[in-house]
Amino acid sequence: MKTILNLSVAALILAGGAYLYADDDREEGEHRHHASMVTKPLSKQDKAATALYTKECGACHFAYQPEFLPKNSWDKTMKRLDNHFGTDATLEPIDYKTIQNYLMVHASRNDRMTDTKGAVAIRISETPYFVREHREIPKKMVTQPEVKSFANCASYHTKAASGSYREREVRIPNYGRLE
Amino acid sequence: MKYLAIVFMFSISLMGASTEVVQYMNELQSAAKTENRSFGGFDAARGKEIFTSTHIGKQGKPIACTSCHSLNLASSGKNSLTGKVIDPLSPRANPQRLTSAKEVKKWLRRNFVDVYAREGTAQEKGDVLAYILKN
Repeated sequence: MKTILNLSVAALILAGGAYLYADDDREEGEHRHHASMVTKPLSKQDKAATALYTKECGACHFAYQPEFLPKNSWDKTMKRLDNHFGTDATLEPIDYKTIQNYLMVHASRNDRMTDTKGAVAIRISETPYFVREHREIPKKMVTQPEVKSFANCASYHTKAASGSYREREVRIPNYGRLE
Repeated sequence: MKYLAIVFMFSISLMGASTEVVQYMNELQSAAKTENRSFGGFDAARGKEIFTSTHIGKQGKPIACTSCHSLNLASSGKNSLTGKVIDPLSPRANPQRLTSAKEVKKWLRRNFVDVYAREGTAQEKGDVLAYILKN
């Protein structure tokens, strides 16, 4: 009788421990929201690729999450790094390959967000979802010197670097929160 | 000549470049000598001229290095297209600068094309580095 009791308690403890520690890939408070584009790196290699992308492609502008454009857009961008929106953004061959692969793996597969009806968008601000979400922003709020253009996501979206673009997090320079 | 090179390299490393960047500047020196037999060493004053003068760049518009990097190398700069803040170029103000040969090569390659619409020569690159090291 005592042995069964002991075994049961032990089993319960083990089960409880397994329950507590098994579900470690879902962080508290984080959930897939259409305004949250966080993709967690899976492997060490993926972590390194993410870091490289953020460093290289975030040197001159915000490092846009790859999910915002489809493969053909990223492909077009990577093919013309020598003339990247008017500047030289060329990479070492190894870095080029790593970033190219990273973009292909994480590019958008969601046609509703990024479908430009056959045209290949090179600007995220040209994609249908973006246009829709930003259609009510007055031009002067975007062209002001602190922002300059729609390319400057992080000037408004205070949590952009972590992949979050929720309305409540928006702070427009010189204008404040969204009404 | 060799003595001068050694003294020069030593003083560079004191001023804030890492060993691998010093090594790179060594390579640039050899290349500069090959390009121009009367080459007598990198010159910070020439480097300043390269860095601060305006040219018709790759975009077909007037541009200078100082368009994005401030004239005062100890201050932050700002990317003229995107508005993104650029950390100071001066190794004294920003100890990260001139520590990675890979980074130095990459930015010299790209930014010469942006401002001069061509690759920088070995002498030009070395002059610019000498200028940055002095400020």
